[in-house]
Amino acid sequence: MSDIQRQGAEILFQEELEALIAAENSPIPTGWRMSPKSVLTYICGGKVGKKEITPKYIGNRRLIEIAIATLVTDRALLLIGEPGTAKSWLSEHLSAAINGDSTKVVQGTAGTTEEQIRYSWNYAMLIAKGPSLDAMVKSPIYNAMETGSIARMEEISRCASEVQDALISILSEKRIAVPELGLEVPAKKGFSVIATANTRDKGVNDMSAALKRRFNIVVLPSPANLQTEMEIVQNRVEQLSKGLDLFAKCPDADVIQQVVTIFRELRAGATLDGKQKLKTTSGVLSTAEAISLLANSMALAGSFGTGEIAPEDLAAALQGAVVKDEDKDSICWKEYLENVMKKRGSAWLPLYQACKELN
Amino acid sequence: MAKPVLFGVRHLSPAAAYHVRKSLQKTKPDLVLIEGPSDLTDQMHWLCHKKTKPPVAIMAYTKQIPVRTILYPFAVYSPEYQAILWAFEHDVPCRFMDLPSDVFLAIGEKKQTQQMQQITQEEIQDTTESVYEKLETLTGESHDTFWERYFEQLDSAYDTATAVFGKELRENTQDDKWYTAENTIREAYMKKVIVDAEKEGFENVFCVCGAYHVSGLEENEPMTDDEMKHLPRLESASTLMPYSYYRLSKRGGYGAGNQAPAYFELLWNDKKSRKGIAQTAYSYLTRLAEAHRKAGNLTSSAEVIEAVRLSQTLAQMRGSKYPVLADLKDAAMTCIGHGRFSEIAVAAAKVEIGNKIGALPEGVSRTSIQDDFYRQLKDLNLEKYRTMEVQALDLDLRERLRVKSEKAAFLDLHRSFFLHRLRVLGVSFATLQNRKQEGANWGEYWNVWWKPEAEIEIVEAALLGDTVENAASFALKERADKSQNISDAAMIFQDAFLCGMPNAASYALSVLQRLAVDTAGIIEISKTTQNLSYVIRYGDLRKFDPEPIIPLLEQLYLRACLILEDACNCDDNAANGVMESIERLNQVQREHENLDEQRWLTLLETVSDRDDINTRCSGFAMATLIERGRVSEDLLAKEVSRRLSKGVPADLGAGWFEGLAKKNRYALIARLSLWKQLNQYLDTLDDEAFRRALVFLRRAFADFSSMEKNDIAENLGEVWGVQKEQAADLLMRKTTEEEHAIFDDLDGFDFDDI
Repeated sequence: MSDIQRQGAEILFQEELEALIAAENSPIPTGWRMSPKSVLTYICGGKVGKKEITPKYIGNRRLIEIAIATLVTDRALLLIGEPGTAKSWLSEHLSAAINGDSTKVVQGTAGTTEEQIRYSWNYAMLIAKGPSLDAMVKSPIYNAMETGSIARMEEISRCASEVQDALISILSEKRIAVPELGLEVPAKKGFSVIATANTRDKGVNDMSAALKRRFNIVVLPSPANLQTEMEIVQNRVEQLSKGLDLFAKCPDADVIQQVVTIFRELRAGATLDGKQKLKTTSGVLSTAEAISLLANSMALAGSFGTGEIAPEDLAAALQGAVVKDEDKDSICWKEYLENVMKKRGSAWLPLYQACKELN
Repeated sequence: MAKPVLFGVRHLSPAAAYHVRKSLQKTKPDLVLIEGPSDLTDQMHWLCHKKTKPPVAIMAYTKQIPVRTILYPFAVYSPEYQAILWAFEHDVPCRFMDLPSDVFLAIGEKKQTQQMQQITQEEIQDTTESVYEKLETLTGESHDTFWERYFEQLDSAYDTATAVFGKELRENTQDDKWYTAENTIREAYMKKVIVDAEKEGFENVFCVCGAYHVSGLEENEPMTDDEMKHLPRLESASTLMPYSYYRLSKRGGYGAGNQAPAYFELLWNDKKSRKGIAQTAYSYLTRLAEAHRKAGNLTSSAEVIEAVRLSQTLAQMRGSKYPVLADLKDAAMTCIGHGRFSEIAVAAAKVEIGNKIGALPEGVSRTSIQDDFYRQLKDLNLEKYRTMEVQALDLDLRERLRVKSEKAAFLDLHRSFFLHRLRVLGVSFATLQNRKQEGANWGEYWNVWWKPEAEIEIVEAALLGDTVENAASFALKERADKSQNISDAAMIFQDAFLCGMPNAASYALSVLQRLAVDTAGIIEISKTTQNLSYVIRYGDLRKFDPEPIIPLLEQLYLRACLILEDACNCDDNAANGVMESIERLNQVQREHENLDEQRWLTLLETVSDRDDINTRCSGFAMATLIERGRVSEDLLAKEVSRRLSKGVPADLGAGWFEGLAKKNRYALIARLSLWKQLNQYLDTLDDEAFRRALVFLRRAFADFSSMEKNDIAENLGEVWGVQKEQAADLLMRKTTEEEHAIFDDLDGFDFDDI
């Protein structure tokens, strides 16, 4: 077992990728490792020969087709969605499948500078030897242009707008100018950018129309229904627990259903049957949170409990996930406990009691 | 003799239309047979008329009620339509070959009643629909997209492909037995038509039929003459009607319509052109961009270019040579709509559905009521309103004095008659808008919107009469015969009046009269008198002779006067209705001198004087008398003190006051004596009685405006000897703690408790 906390997608799913490459029989675009169809199979799941390919993204297959087709046309791809709708996850897997390399990443923050998108210098060497290619520190995007592969730009909307602007000319002209060396580096075929952006969160900047125009935009929705979301959560929790050595059994379907139901109901502000209106909480309560919540409960159960998720473990984790803004959220949560959970019958009773004790 | 060519098509498929024409050109048949009711063959030449613009539909309908209809819509890209056109252009005889429409209608009825009976039976597993569903899960695309991707883009061998598809579909499905039975009968009939044609001497027969039927027609035996005799029939007639893309798009499902008629027309035009459907991506996306810009959005050409590229890549990934509608929509959503379909939804609807309406030449075989409708549309200069967009039509019913001809002078009036008649017939062509300005009795506001439904509704109305007027008159008469109460009858009378149909109006009137004698309470009668009064006063605006109504109005008025006193003996809930009736009758009496005024005044006085009926009614009668200037200051003072004297239960006293305060408030406020009386009355009450009276008085003053309340407060101030300045001083002064305590107490005061 490796000592790396979280392996990149190309290493975790190496076998699947190799099986797909081995079985390839459709034309492969320049700079790609497999055909667009195989990329689709890798992301949405399927079968190659005898090898079962696990689905990485569960949901609207059409959106994935659009995303892949965008990259085939050498356009940049922008994945937009609320927090926790698998934007970064998808971007990582797309680049892993297309290039076998998901590591050319710029992680966008409010402090990201233009140099991190273009290039910067090794100043010691710059002062000692003057500007040269050796003294240049290339950004992941620069590298991707040189090698004709895909660069990822995470959380692009968190960058200041002047930093976002640096991308505009790179994406339209597909070349990067280095005036210090009198160089102009053209991008090799196969270069593209996958960016991800949050639409509804604190601390995000608007994107300019000029930049948006250079991307094909795919909006990733929250999972369409309970079944899809349960499937996503189950898959990811199993994968996580393998990587994290949690010493606990994976939660069974009932537990996952309860968590996903609670999340979906509080997110939508209504019970699943639509009969009862609920107050929504201040947090987004994304699928990703549901996944980490279950991993969290598994850690609790594994380290301090019986190794199987007990209602108490779940209750503590739920409390933490739902109640973010102390006053308002705790009222919502209490109301939900009394008005909805309490009336759900015996299957929900242990969880209800555990939750109630904490409040 | 060659074997007949069986060309399997999908209805409303541009590729089928294209390949049918090509195949016809190649085989040069001497007879073309089309899947369609065989008795409607004589409608075909209208389809080929040079003034006919598809989409049009042939409709067959039963002659008895309930009217059942079947529709055969044709768009320009219908393979059947193109085959008929080809035959017409090449002077080749062409016929429909399916069951006659009267049989179709009869089978449809049988099928429905039978299916209703066996509703509890288990659902059948392998219907055509379920095979489509399987296809959808297998390909991950909708059935329409599947068809477009694999069949619309075929360059050759279209008929072989569809025949195989139809055969497979047949083998994999087990539709419910009624459906199967219907298909078997239809195929046997069609086979018979083919065989008969060959007997007639045609050597090279070309049949255009649904792909599903191809193998059935190959294998089944023709129907025998004896079997023919047993076919059920319903008496029916048929007509041609203009159709619309909007309606085609609303009727999903195989054959009946498709979701994107305008897009399919695009496909058809591109298919015929030199470049073929390779250019459809360009034509669709540029049109979409244009529509999107027209809707007020920015769309750059660069975005359109990217969308075209993306759609082509998507098509390749999904396994077709050219993009299909789903690919184009996805690409447009991503590049033009910035990832959200909602952004381009309006533009997409325009480009995919469009607002095309078909047209038929004049004189086309129509029902007489359709002819009448179109003639009047032309006469009344309303043709320009026959569009798919909602248009406002404001009518001024007054005579136009500046024009010469009488027709022009009353154009709007006749338009109003016409539109009201359509409304009475339930034809959804125009809807009356409710924005009457005060006093503008000559204005009428309509929203006009043509839908092919209207055409169907007109045809359905054909059963009622041969012209719009006759049918409307019959409809009104039917309604009048069914009406149970006086206000229904009054409604019908009003409708007849609005339609400008004196005969129907007098018929409704006679019904009204009969009902008025039998039943009717004060509220209904007063409403009816109001309606009649309106007609008498404004009748000449609509050229309506009010003479026959006047006696009825007098009769109803008399009756109302006779029953009003009794009606006032009611509880508080009913009192509101009675008071409204008094108000209405009062108005009507004022408007018409022929109604006995003295009777009305005497009646009001009686009601006002009696103290054994609902006091609110008495109060209101008093108020009405005050309004008419029949109450002297003394009388009012006397009444107030009598009604509000000690010993009269508080609810009765206050109820009377409430009735009194319902109208002419300014006159009341101005009478200081009234407020003195009220004050004295309140002084006499002990605490318990005061509490009770408070509730009623509070209600009485509830709907006074704050202005009016201020005036009353001033009056009372004067009664109590408080000057304005003093009161202001008192109110502006800082409140003491003691007073605060009282206020706090009042905060918790619950009026509902007393």
